Amino acid sequence: MLIKFTLNGDAVEVALKTADRLLADVLREDFQLTGAKLGCSIGACGICTVLVDGEPTPACLQLAALCDGADIRTVEGLATADALHPVQQAFVNQTALQCGICIPGHVMQACSLLEKNPNPSEEEIKASVDSVYCRCTGYHRIFEAYREAIATAQKTAKVKA
Amino acid sequence: MNAPDPRTAGLLIVGKDVQRTDAIPKVTGAALYVADIQMPGMLHGAVLRSPHPNARIVSIDLSAARAMPGVKSVITGEDTAHKKWGAFRPDLYPLGIARVRYVGDEVAAVAATTPEIARAAIDKIVVKYEVLPAVLSMNQAMAPNAPLVHDDCVGNIAHEFNFERGDVDAGFKASDCIVEGTWESQRQWHTSLETIGCVAKFSDGRYTLWCNTQTPYLARGRYSAALGIPESQMRVIQTEVGGGFGGKSGDDNCSVICAMLARKTGKPVKLIHTREEEFLASHPRMPMRYWVRLGFSKAGKVLAKEIKMWADNGAYTGKSQAILGAATVRHDALYKYPNARAHSKLLYTNLVPTGAFRGFGNPSADWAVEQAWDLAAEKLGIDIADLLRVNAVEPGDVSPHNHKITSCELKQCIDKATALIGWKAKHKNKKPNRGLGMGCSLHVNGRRSFGDWDGSSAIVRINDDGRATIISGEGEIGQGTFTVLRQIAAEELGLPYEDVDITRPDTDVHPYALGALASRVTYVAGNAVKRAAGEASKQLMAAAAEQFKLPVEDLTIINGQIGPKAGPESAYKPVSVIVRANIYKPGGQPIIGVGNFDNPSEFPDHSRFGNESGSYNFAAQCVELEVDPGTGMVKLDEISAVVDCGTVIHPAAAQGQVHGGMVQGIGFAMTEYFDLWNGQPTDPQLKDYPLPGAANLPVMHVAFADSYEPSGPFGAKGLGEIGLDAIPAAIANAISDAVGVRIHDLPITSEKIHRALHPELYADEIALPAVEPKGGMWSRLSVGRPSGPRPFIPEFIVAISVEEAVALYAEGESALVSGGMSHALRRERTGYPQAKRLVSLARVPELLDLCIDAKSALHIGSAVNQQRIYDEAKVKTGWQAIHDALEAVGHTRLRRMITLGGSIGPLIGGFDLPIALLALHARVTVAGPQGRRTLALDEAFQNRFAKDELVVSIGVDALHARTGSAFHKYMLRGELEIPTVNVAAKITLDVAGDCAAARVVVGCMGWKPIVLDLVDLIGKPLSEQAIRESVQTVRTLAQPVADVRGSAAYKREMAVEWAARVLITAWQRAK
Repeated sequence: MLIKFTLNGDAVEVALKTADRLLADVLREDFQLTGAKLGCSIGACGICTVLVDGEPTPACLQLAALCDGADIRTVEGLATADALHPVQQAFVNQTALQCGICIPGHVMQACSLLEKNPNPSEEEIKASVDSVYCRCTGYHRIFEAYREAIATAQKTAKVKA
Repeated sequence: MNAPDPRTAGLLIVGKDVQRTDAIPKVTGAALYVADIQMPGMLHGAVLRSPHPNARIVSIDLSAARAMPGVKSVITGEDTAHKKWGAFRPDLYPLGIARVRYVGDEVAAVAATTPEIARAAIDKIVVKYEVLPAVLSMNQAMAPNAPLVHDDCVGNIAHEFNFERGDVDAGFKASDCIVEGTWESQRQWHTSLETIGCVAKFSDGRYTLWCNTQTPYLARGRYSAALGIPESQMRVIQTEVGGGFGGKSGDDNCSVICAMLARKTGKPVKLIHTREEEFLASHPRMPMRYWVRLGFSKAGKVLAKEIKMWADNGAYTGKSQAILGAATVRHDALYKYPNARAHSKLLYTNLVPTGAFRGFGNPSADWAVEQAWDLAAEKLGIDIADLLRVNAVEPGDVSPHNHKITSCELKQCIDKATALIGWKAKHKNKKPNRGLGMGCSLHVNGRRSFGDWDGSSAIVRINDDGRATIISGEGEIGQGTFTVLRQIAAEELGLPYEDVDITRPDTDVHPYALGALASRVTYVAGNAVKRAAGEASKQLMAAAAEQFKLPVEDLTIINGQIGPKAGPESAYKPVSVIVRANIYKPGGQPIIGVGNFDNPSEFPDHSRFGNESGSYNFAAQCVELEVDPGTGMVKLDEISAVVDCGTVIHPAAAQGQVHGGMVQGIGFAMTEYFDLWNGQPTDPQLKDYPLPGAANLPVMHVAFADSYEPSGPFGAKGLGEIGLDAIPAAIANAISDAVGVRIHDLPITSEKIHRALHPELYADEIALPAVEPKGGMWSRLSVGRPSGPRPFIPEFIVAISVEEAVALYAEGESALVSGGMSHALRRERTGYPQAKRLVSLARVPELLDLCIDAKSALHIGSAVNQQRIYDEAKVKTGWQAIHDALEAVGHTRLRRMITLGGSIGPLIGGFDLPIALLALHARVTVAGPQGRRTLALDEAFQNRFAKDELVVSIGVDALHARTGSAFHKYMLRGELEIPTVNVAAKITLDVAGDCAAARVVVGCMGWKPIVLDLVDLIGKPLSEQAIRESVQTVRTLAQPVADVRGSAAYKREMAVEWAARVLITAWQRAK
């Protein structure tokens, strides 16, 4: 089965080895994009979160066949050669990581929230952080990274205005 | 001390939040973890495990597995060196020989060209077992004539400590107040989000292992012993490590098996634990039964302590005897105990082997002893904070076991932690059901465990471009080692932090090190790196002196520039110039400093007498919480933690260690546990083992004591573990303060509190025998086989109309795929797709319809995902119960994966959305070969759909005026999991405000939801009491099954309670 989609801005196509192949396997094996990690394979941990048409999606549950025509973004597509994405920069600045295995999931989840809503409420931030597990940080510094990323986005919006 | 130590005043890099070494690779996805490694020709491994807790292996038939195309090697215990291995007490074979001793014990392994083939080959291995009586608890292990877990271990006692220091009897005799009690703790799994894994290669007679190990050298030592080869024949390279917490400290068979498969095939092999395997074979925290008695004078001075303790080793020992030791003696260095007696036993059982987990025995000891202190405070009538403060150890104290206290700011920790949470004011104004509790703890900074050395060696090289490189074998597991060691080296060298690099451990290159355990790296490795940097700096300055032709004393280094102390800036030369000139000259040499540091500690004797560590770190923690007496649910409001770790080298990373430890402590206390069935954790996966998420966390105040440890690098000590230790006890103490219920057994569950508060509700309870748990929603693989897909290529058809889908479905051997979630789960869990043909409904336009019709009724097509419904503002205002139910799913990413059809089609009463829809009198339209029909959802639950019918849509009428609806989901652990009970209600009021109609639906109380129209309420004014009386019938209708989410009796009470609560919410909304 051949499917086509946009991957980090590039039009790509891939012949699925089996029709029920999961997006996580296609990204990690066919495209060697290993940023999305597999933590539980049942959708519980969220560390495989990627964006499908801008929405946070667990790549471990998403059938690749259903992504035909979708716009898919992974953590590898965020930074340019010269600069990190503001969300990534916020995680760096806030020391919002330890072992790092969950961080691609958290970064993508945060990007999705901020793209849809540059000024989220504390409750919305909490729900967003809550949707990806982190076993190391106790989440405190991840909240700090969200706050910095929001502040940066608002500053950028003001400059543009 | 209550101010920063003056010795830290001039530090430029230590104490600053520099950018973490691993930050950019980790935020960009570039960091390579073991699962990310690909090699040409790489094979994939899989392991067959024992399904029995104790059995003799009668025979193993490998022929069918070996015959499969793509299978390159199948091995069993017979292919191993027949050598038992283990950190202290070798008792584990890499693959079982003749016997298996727990559910999960490794029996055979396969290497194949794909993971799918490897798993399918595992399915083909036939093992005949003779099942033996098993030891499934510590009580069974101790029973007379108990079966022996290991034939050579009489009484199943793997290790024992028995000693007395001082005169304990005299101490108790002199005591005015004596308290005692027994406390039990459970297994807690590290649950690193990356499981244990290895890529191994064998070439030129040597093994190379890429491991996510915390301890590369210790891993090499043990794995090579298991393989029966000299250590130098193995090279261990540390990959990025996705969480350790003790679980990756070299007690696993995974890497050993992977190495054997690589040797057999001559190809690189990758072997990664599945999540289930991780729950079986990663050596979780050791459960303990801990009896403690304490004696005090009237004034609250502690006079004697006695403990008796039994610890569950599981089937194999790993590092457990050292953990037993820590839990036996460590606490005696926290307070000024003059006399102490201890008797502790490590017992073999046929259960999951236990081992090192952050805290290393201390959290289980603290769970008991810190509660005994709280009991004493109550009995003495002294505020617990004051009692602990009076007895806290101080610098210069020596514990009964010769632990020598150097720097110690425990009293400062107590003062600051109580101040941060507002202890005194809150204590004075105690509110009903709210409580305060506290606990303290101490940890080593490294411990002499594996021989009479707890040292580290490091090399610091100053390169000819002026940058320095640290070469240390300690490694990084996410706790920040690389960053902290770079800060220490840069500070010592006088170089900018950015100019100091560090390399990842490789046992062929890096000097010997023990690695990340025992909170030792900052203190022990930090000192070694500091000395190596000091030595390199000495060589550098000597070279500079030669080049400047000035005495060394006259020179200085500032930010990478060297020159005369009094000289102008122009006289300074960059370090690179000095280094190059020192190399490129006759007889020249590079600048390489070597540093060694051995912890100034003593190797404890067989009775654990001896100063284990050169210094100790301390913490005090306070908890404020509220108990809901109707459910027993605990809501944590605030926690404060103040740690004495000496100088704080990287404040943000240090804070992160404490936060992370606290949250793991909350998990240990309240959310992380499995039921065991026949020695096996029931359904061992993350769904049934909820980790604390971000939504339910208390406000956390973290601070550090002003402290300086003279033997530490720049005054620093360790802090990796201490944030966790006292949390469970502090929570229990706060619960006792709140509602007078003392919890003795971990985990703390709402049910235990509810039972203690309302014993009358359980008076007539008939205890039912435990029943074998059924598989979850997706039938499970037979125990012992790895989860994940097998080779199978289904047909995938994207239907474009309902009729096409119905026709395809009716042909048989087809499965419907809507969001795809249940299919993906089933594939992962059972290995195979649902059917040969998958029919996708995701592109059928009619099924993607979401609208409100002319009569204001809501229509939702079955392929609409829950997030779309959740985002629809009109649903939120018009049908609140639906919105509540979708909110309860928790996360956008899950709501996106679940379609309406997926939540309705299976007609499972435990799902959230159908419960809400039932309350709203929803209709469901289904299509089959005979056409379409519309029926009440209630009726569908009674009579089921026909096998060939598929859900097309649901319809819900607009709610009448003065109608309110609501949904509540009660999860015992408050985290994402299957609910204990879920409920929905709809109430309509008449113009007078009396009840016109009331319906309540209760899920999870049997296969079908309970749907009740409360006719007794109609025409009457509503009140909380009337509602509560009306829902009493729920108690008799509920037929819950006992499981990890509660006993049948508790679930029944919660069904009644939540039925009332949801009706009250709906009533409020109707008004």
